Amino acid sequence: MSKHKTFTFLAGLVMLALLASACAPAATPTLAPKKVTLIITGPSSGETGYAVLQKQLERFMKENPNIEVKIQEMPWSSTLQHDMFVTWAAGQLPTPDILRLDIIWPAEFAAAGWVVPLNDYIKKAGLDMADFLEGPLSGCTYQGQVVCLPYFTDAGLLYYRKDLLEKYGFKPPETFADLKEQALAIMKKEGIKNGFVWQGDAYEGGTCNLLEYVWGNGADVLDGKGNVVIDDPKAVEALSVMVDYIKSGVSPAGVTTYKEEDARNVFQRGDAVFMRNWPYAWAAMNAPDSPVKGKVGAKPMVHGPGQKSAATLGGWNLAINKFSQNPDEAFKLIAFLTSAEIQKDTALGAGLSPTRKSLYEDADVLAANPFWKDFFDIMVGAKPRPVHPRYPEISSVLFTEAHKALTGEQDAATAIKNMAKKITDIVKK
Amino acid sequence: MRFLTTIRKRGLSQSQLAALLMLPALIVIFLITFYPLAQTFLFSLEDYNVKFAAARKFVGPGNYIKLFFDPDFRAALRQTIFFTVVSVSAEFVLGLLVALVIHRTFPGRGLVRAAVLVPWAIPTVISARMWEWMYNDQFGVINDILVKLHLIPAPVPWLGQPATAMWAIIVTDVWKTTPFMALLLLAGLQIIPEELYEAAKIDGAGTWQRFWRVTLPLLRPAILVALIFRTLDAFRVFDVVFVLTRGASGTRTLVVMNQEVFFSFLEFGYGSAISVLVFVFVALFSFLYMRGLGLRLEAA
Repeated sequence: MSKHKTFTFLAGLVMLALLASACAPAATPTLAPKKVTLIITGPSSGETGYAVLQKQLERFMKENPNIEVKIQEMPWSSTLQHDMFVTWAAGQLPTPDILRLDIIWPAEFAAAGWVVPLNDYIKKAGLDMADFLEGPLSGCTYQGQVVCLPYFTDAGLLYYRKDLLEKYGFKPPETFADLKEQALAIMKKEGIKNGFVWQGDAYEGGTCNLLEYVWGNGADVLDGKGNVVIDDPKAVEALSVMVDYIKSGVSPAGVTTYKEEDARNVFQRGDAVFMRNWPYAWAAMNAPDSPVKGKVGAKPMVHGPGQKSAATLGGWNLAINKFSQNPDEAFKLIAFLTSAEIQKDTALGAGLSPTRKSLYEDADVLAANPFWKDFFDIMVGAKPRPVHPRYPEISSVLFTEAHKALTGEQDAATAIKNMAKKITDIVKK
Repeated sequence: MRFLTTIRKRGLSQSQLAALLMLPALIVIFLITFYPLAQTFLFSLEDYNVKFAAARKFVGPGNYIKLFFDPDFRAALRQTIFFTVVSVSAEFVLGLLVALVIHRTFPGRGLVRAAVLVPWAIPTVISARMWEWMYNDQFGVINDILVKLHLIPAPVPWLGQPATAMWAIIVTDVWKTTPFMALLLLAGLQIIPEELYEAAKIDGAGTWQRFWRVTLPLLRPAILVALIFRTLDAFRVFDVVFVLTRGASGTRTLVVMNQEVFFSFLEFGYGSAISVLVFVFVALFSFLYMRGLGLRLEAA
């Protein structure tokens, strides 16, 4: 570019800039609230929840004309979402403004300072927190601060073949031993391949399964003060039950490779008597083309003798990005989306389980999905996984050591000892 | 071109011009290779977890000392070496056989050559998913065939037990990468002049002797390149393991472990130290190969 041309180019730029500033409107009247755009992470447009959320957001925008909301589509895998959130937060990006967090992340995100503490907002807005289920709410609370609002929830269930249990005169099992006895009896008489399928692979779902046995046998990983308490004979007993299910043939040896869908595939084909899974499986199993349609019951997980059943809590929650430019508007939106009215809409439209107690008595909700009445006790009793900023490391130890016990590399007692030692090291870091 | 002549007129020598022309490429290489490498090395000297960024501090060789005493790391190193040695050996032997076969002229050779390449053309994540289904204990075709042939009494969860999981992964990897090995070796075979074989034949060398005395020595450069490529790849194996077991049942290789440390635990310091060690091991392997095969890379 010659000197002459460069000059013309620069001169042009200056002119343009001058023109632009001349055209800018004079100071706007201060009465109208400033126009803001919020970005919220949501399901991908292929999922059923997307259209439901889109409609709800349109209503929100109509009620709040100064706020525009856009959905940022996210991948299905929670692990992938975690990686993306972390990358954004490490780069201190102001968007997305609203983060949809898996129930196991709030402590981590709060400790890192990536989400806005909400206590003051909640107080100012006068939100009725007592209506939220305790489990999801405690998963959203870190060191006394609520850091997200529960959006929808999930809990582990025991599915059983109603028809087969009735046929052989069994009542749905209560204890670990009941399940083994019934499964073995029905397998033998009915010639069915598997007694009980669940998630035994080494991944987050493995931790969820393990915890239900540990809690259901009266043990725990961390106590209320954050001390490691898993080195407990009751925890060894719990893990031994899982090992014994495989050794005795109640569960197939391949259960050590099963995730949710692997278990569902087996159960839905009619190849198992019992299955541990999440509520989502209910709809698929009762779909018109399902071989087990109408033959399935669901109940709380089995437990140790003299103990109470326990369910691992799942679910998603809405938090505000610490680096967002518009936290006030963002809070308005998450309060709206977690309100009873909108959650009811989500439950009816997308089949997601509400986090508000009142909705489990709502006639419309129960009419649409009668099983929610039965699920309520499970949802109420569901326990959050250990709340700790280093949860991913703790969970990795739990599922890795448990998996080694399930595949016979080590016995249950050694596995629990290793868990205690390694988790103690992690908590001390 | 006028631009170049102008510059040369202004008194730049040939070599200065060459340096000038290389500069953009060097800058790019620096930005995308050396800068991240150096950054990784610097991270490896820090105690740095992204979620506790405030507690970030310099620890010198601290991470490396910790790694030395970390039983998980040592187990991962063992598993990685096992995977590398077994899978690369198998791929080499099979790849050489395939290369020798498709080097011969026979009707339909073009078709066979194309067919052999198919596994290599499928992205690993997809082929691994395919194998995952074939290994499935309830619906898997492998169990179905073996049970029907009465070779095993009951279905085996190939990926769900330490005795078979690593072997199942190795089979998948060998299936996928043997074609690549074969392709590299085939290229080597094709540059061996036909006259040498004729001369050897006239001198009375049998088939076996021709293979050992003519083919193999002349194939050495190609073998070297193929082995280096595959060893480096195998040592850094990630995708096939991540899809099939995510490191469970005694298959946790170094990079699978590293991915968890980095992206699940967010330990950038410790993770970087693992990355640096993987880099050092890989460099060491390449060096040993070149020495062991008595060749310099330029000769290849």
